[in-house]
Amino acid sequence: MPLVEDSNPFAYPAPVWTLFRSAPRAGGFAPGTPGVVTGEAQSNAARSRLRLQLRFERGRVADARFRAYGCPTSIAVGAWLAGWAVGKDVRELAGLSAARLRKELEIPDHRAHCALLGEDALRAVLDRLPEDPSP
Amino acid sequence: MSAVIAPATSRAARTIYLDYAATTPLAPQVLEAMLPYLRGGESDPLLWANPASAHGPGYRARAAVERARAQVAALIGADATEIIFTSGATESNNLAIKGALEFHGALRGSRRAHLVSSRTEHRCVLDSCRYLETQGVRVTYLKPDALGRIAPAQVFEALTPDTVLVSLMWVNNEIGVVYDIPAIARGLRERGVLFHVDAVQAAGKLPIDLREVPVDLLSLSAHKIYGPKGVGALYVRRKPRARLAPQMHGGGHEQGMRSGTLATHQIVGLGAACALAAQRLGEDAVRLAQLRERLWQRLASALPGLHRNGDPQACAPHLLNVSFEGVEGEALRASLPELALSSGSACSSATAEPSYVLRALGRDDELANASLRFSFGRATSVEEIECAAQRVIEQVRWLRELSPFGKDG
Repeated sequence: MPLVEDSNPFAYPAPVWTLFRSAPRAGGFAPGTPGVVTGEAQSNAARSRLRLQLRFERGRVADARFRAYGCPTSIAVGAWLAGWAVGKDVRELAGLSAARLRKELEIPDHRAHCALLGEDALRAVLDRLPEDPSP
Repeated sequence: MSAVIAPATSRAARTIYLDYAATTPLAPQVLEAMLPYLRGGESDPLLWANPASAHGPGYRARAAVERARAQVAALIGADATEIIFTSGATESNNLAIKGALEFHGALRGSRRAHLVSSRTEHRCVLDSCRYLETQGVRVTYLKPDALGRIAPAQVFEALTPDTVLVSLMWVNNEIGVVYDIPAIARGLRERGVLFHVDAVQAAGKLPIDLREVPVDLLSLSAHKIYGPKGVGALYVRRKPRARLAPQMHGGGHEQGMRSGTLATHQIVGLGAACALAAQRLGEDAVRLAQLRERLWQRLASALPGLHRNGDPQACAPHLLNVSFEGVEGEALRASLPELALSSGSACSSATAEPSYVLRALGRDDELANASLRFSFGRATSVEEIECAAQRVIEQVRWLRELSPFGKDG
């Protein structure tokens, strides 16, 4: 008998459901961890907030964490971003758009704000990036 | 140096149904009672006949309808002649409210008419009131206090010389608060104002005796008490006579108040469900209240930041409504896919709007949205309550841990 919780009863897009339920890289780095840059974005309309933390080593993301308060889609966006960012350099990070997030997570129109939340959180990280992000 | 947090991983192998206030399963004995009127009985193969037909099988079908009428009446201390069968409580509420106002001339504009209801009524009552407003009826929507209560004095103060009807529910379907219907009914009788009560969540849960409580019109539904969906009843008092204008015109069935061929099997199902409810009333109420308190104690002892919605001193046995601080409502509901429960009144979606009932109690949108309505039934076990409590505790803790609010890292 299949597990009930695998059945996605609310019919979220499959990538959203999987990431919401597994939430890889949820959490945060201990304060003072070298190379960590934190960005945060919020959507007042949807009362959601996403915090993204990227830990840089030699110009690339070595590890990532996220925290989110919001609907399952915004949580999934945080989880996807944290996973995708690992191994990327600044130029690759800057190339991510909300449209790409929507495509990857199959986010429908009425949830477009969740993808924008992700893009904004990543931009906030990039805005706070020192000239040389390597520790 | 980095903390990864992981969602709770315990899993339930099957759905735990905690939405009995939305609907209940058909009781086996109710199904058995209905079947002969769908497919014919073993000794009487024509029981599916039209109960309005003037022949043997028709008379026997009619007899079944009348037995059911007596069973419905018995559950609420009424006379069988005071029961009108309808398609369900939405129709009963529409017929009571619109029928009473129309009978009293409110819709023809021949008199000024006023109606009193509350902000926390079921949507079908509120929408009937709103329709009447478009027809020139003035409506006062009483505001409950923070516990969802409406004091009898509040009702009486809202009356005007033009008040035709007061319509209030006995038990609120979202928060389970029980209104003091006996006191309100006595006060309205003294003042000569007609009183309609939506008793859908009260029937079979609380004792109702209309010989003692002077309600004029009272709505019932079968599927909330282990009967079939699609059938209900409206109690219409004979002494003094509550008069209604029919809302369904046709062959003059149901004393002319509700035309349409009687659905014998549905009506027999409603009757059987009422008989069973009357039998089990005391036992069910005690057990359900124990389950409710057990769940509340488990949640409240494990989690800070909970709000029990409604009045713990006057709540129906089968309902518990809780708001959870620090979690987002949709994520909360989606994180509990193995629990069949509701965020308010029968919302099928995790993305439901915040409840207007909770907002009427003064909860802000965010907290109103982060609320769960647990409702219990005859099949709910202690194990299910324990398992559900555990899941809710785990998921609320997880979502709070996941939240960036109040955290440095």
